[in-house]
Amino acid sequence: MTTLANAETSRAATSRIDRFGVVIAAFLIGALALPFATLRATRIASGTGLQLFDALPATTMVAVLAVLAATIGAALASRRPAVRLALGALALAALALAAGAAGAHLMPADNPYARVAPASGFWVALFGAAMLVTDASVRLKLGPAGRIVALVVTATLIVGLFASGAWSHLSIVAEYRNRADVFWRETINHVILAAGSLAAAIAVGLPLGILAYEIKAVRDPLINVLNVVQTIPSMALFGILIAPLGWIAMNVPGAHALGIRGIGMAPAFLALFLYSLLPMVANTVVGLNGVSRAVVDAARGMGLTGRQRLFQVEMPLALPVLLTGIRIALVQNIGLATVAALIGGGGFGVFLFQGLGQTATDLILLGALPPVALAFAAAVVLDAIIEISGRGKA
Amino acid sequence: MIELSHLTKVYGDTAVVNDVNMEIEAGTITVIVGTSGSGKSTLLRMVNRLVEPTEGRVFLEGNDVSTMPPHELRRSIGYAIQNHGLFPHWTVARNIATVPMLLGWDRRKVEARVEELMELFQLDHAQFANRYPHELSGGQQQRVGVARAMAAKPALLLMDEPFGALDPIIRSKAQSDLKAIQRRTGTTILLVTHDMAEAVHLGDRIAVMDAGLLKQYAPAADILARPADAFVDDLIGSADRPFRYLTLGKVRAAVEPGDAEGAPLAADASLYEGLGELLWSGRDAAPVIDTAGAPLGRISLESIAERAARPK
Repeated sequence: MTTLANAETSRAATSRIDRFGVVIAAFLIGALALPFATLRATRIASGTGLQLFDALPATTMVAVLAVLAATIGAALASRRPAVRLALGALALAALALAAGAAGAHLMPADNPYARVAPASGFWVALFGAAMLVTDASVRLKLGPAGRIVALVVTATLIVGLFASGAWSHLSIVAEYRNRADVFWRETINHVILAAGSLAAAIAVGLPLGILAYEIKAVRDPLINVLNVVQTIPSMALFGILIAPLGWIAMNVPGAHALGIRGIGMAPAFLALFLYSLLPMVANTVVGLNGVSRAVVDAARGMGLTGRQRLFQVEMPLALPVLLTGIRIALVQNIGLATVAALIGGGGFGVFLFQGLGQTATDLILLGALPPVALAFAAAVVLDAIIEISGRGKA
Repeated sequence: MIELSHLTKVYGDTAVVNDVNMEIEAGTITVIVGTSGSGKSTLLRMVNRLVEPTEGRVFLEGNDVSTMPPHELRRSIGYAIQNHGLFPHWTVARNIATVPMLLGWDRRKVEARVEELMELFQLDHAQFANRYPHELSGGQQQRVGVARAMAAKPALLLMDEPFGALDPIIRSKAQSDLKAIQRRTGTTILLVTHDMAEAVHLGDRIAVMDAGLLKQYAPAADILARPADAFVDDLIGSADRPFRYLTLGKVRAAVEPGDAEGAPLAADASLYEGLGELLWSGRDAAPVIDTAGAPLGRISLESIAERAARPK
């Protein structure tokens, strides 16, 4: 009897272990075997990897280990998404604070040129905890408003960490400090490139899409041309645009004064605009085409004029698909705008390419992480808006 | 009154509607029946200019519709279609208010009209006014569709297979309701269907179309009794013909003096219903009473059978 009972208990225990949790646990435990931080004598010197117990003061290390152990426990044993989310978020916070603490602990007082950066162990653990948080938030089925609140809270916490100085000894922050003015200027350039070209693409693409929807003869040629543009690699497109824009700057009066040049922002802006046109036009056509034939027929039969039908019926019903086009274009633009730096267009790419030239990893990250965060935030916000706009139209 | 004069629509080399002439009397239900591809929907859609005729004219109360701006013409004519075509992003009340709002009616008048129509179509205003179409059943959606078509009190209502998406039980109720509402409002209805039973049930007159041609245009009884050609005959279905014919007559018309055993039949029931009741209860005859319950006489299988035979 006892053996049977024991077998049942152990079977119940096995079935309680979450398979996905095993993967998370593997990441978090595996991370402990890897160096947590790197110490380098200068920003471009090669560094030494330091394990968690070398990188942190003893009390901090114990606290971090305790949080990670609790997270592993929750990932393995708890099925409640709220618990998993809370511990995953706690692990992320602990890792972020620990990275900062490692900076403060390791930075030698006599060498201001030394650099401390998080190493592979930190990134692997961060990835594991982030997976747990993502999975738990999906299972929690947060509504659109909830997701935006979560985004704002996360952004506030990250800004708070910077402002509090908790990360001030980390290498990426040191790189930022050395070029803070340039950083914000290029941030603005990046946003102008990505969002400005999108705004222009909306202003042009929406009417073009409506035209292609109304006049079938326009549709295929237009979509085909835009498809071809989409297949040109970004560097090639920048190159192709240099010659005509240079000519315009030289020969069209006033063009130069407007900032139109063969290189710089103008060709980058124009290229991003052209790339955004396809998602805008295609999604406008698809969205309008998706409106039920019966609804369009009823609208005509009721006596709505062409304009009333478009603005009161077809466009509102196509809105979720239109917004999906905007989301695709915006996320794509935020990424592509990074390349604009190669032709002097500015943006975060400036740091990325400088970093590549100097083999300065921290500078590369300074150029790479902000556009990733920006694209992620844009996707979350637009997905929430799309979900809200699609309500009640089943 | 509506007059269709030499109405023709040609697509490519095919005349989908070929020289159709019809006069439709005000205040009646006219049903255009035909197989798919017969041109019946195209004919209907030429009345409110959703389709422009290749040749011929449509006159409403003597006015040539091609002289009116299409959107103004359409606002003056009701339009209801299969799958209702309700605007999914508008509430039931806003959907019904579509044409009155287009016509710029005063808000209070629109609200009063919406309430009136919802009552007429047995939709509880408090419960349904602020719901969205997808929250309604198929039958409710269809009623909202017809209510919307009638919102601005059009003298003419065009209906393109309005009951096509409904299941048989709801469809039959919807047909009877439409007929009752039409008798109350006096709206002229031009309705398209492929279902001959629906045509006989609803139509004061029936127009049969095939391959763009108007084959026969006559009162329902005439169509059943004297089909113009083999096609019309086929469409009626030879086995069903006597029964279709009986649906047109009332028990009252076949009452004979005398008495009979068993439960009485209502004088306003159709002969078809009367026959069914007699056959099912195994009787040769049944007493007949009027709406007040007073006895009128009796009805026999024999007298019903006489009325199911081809008229001489």
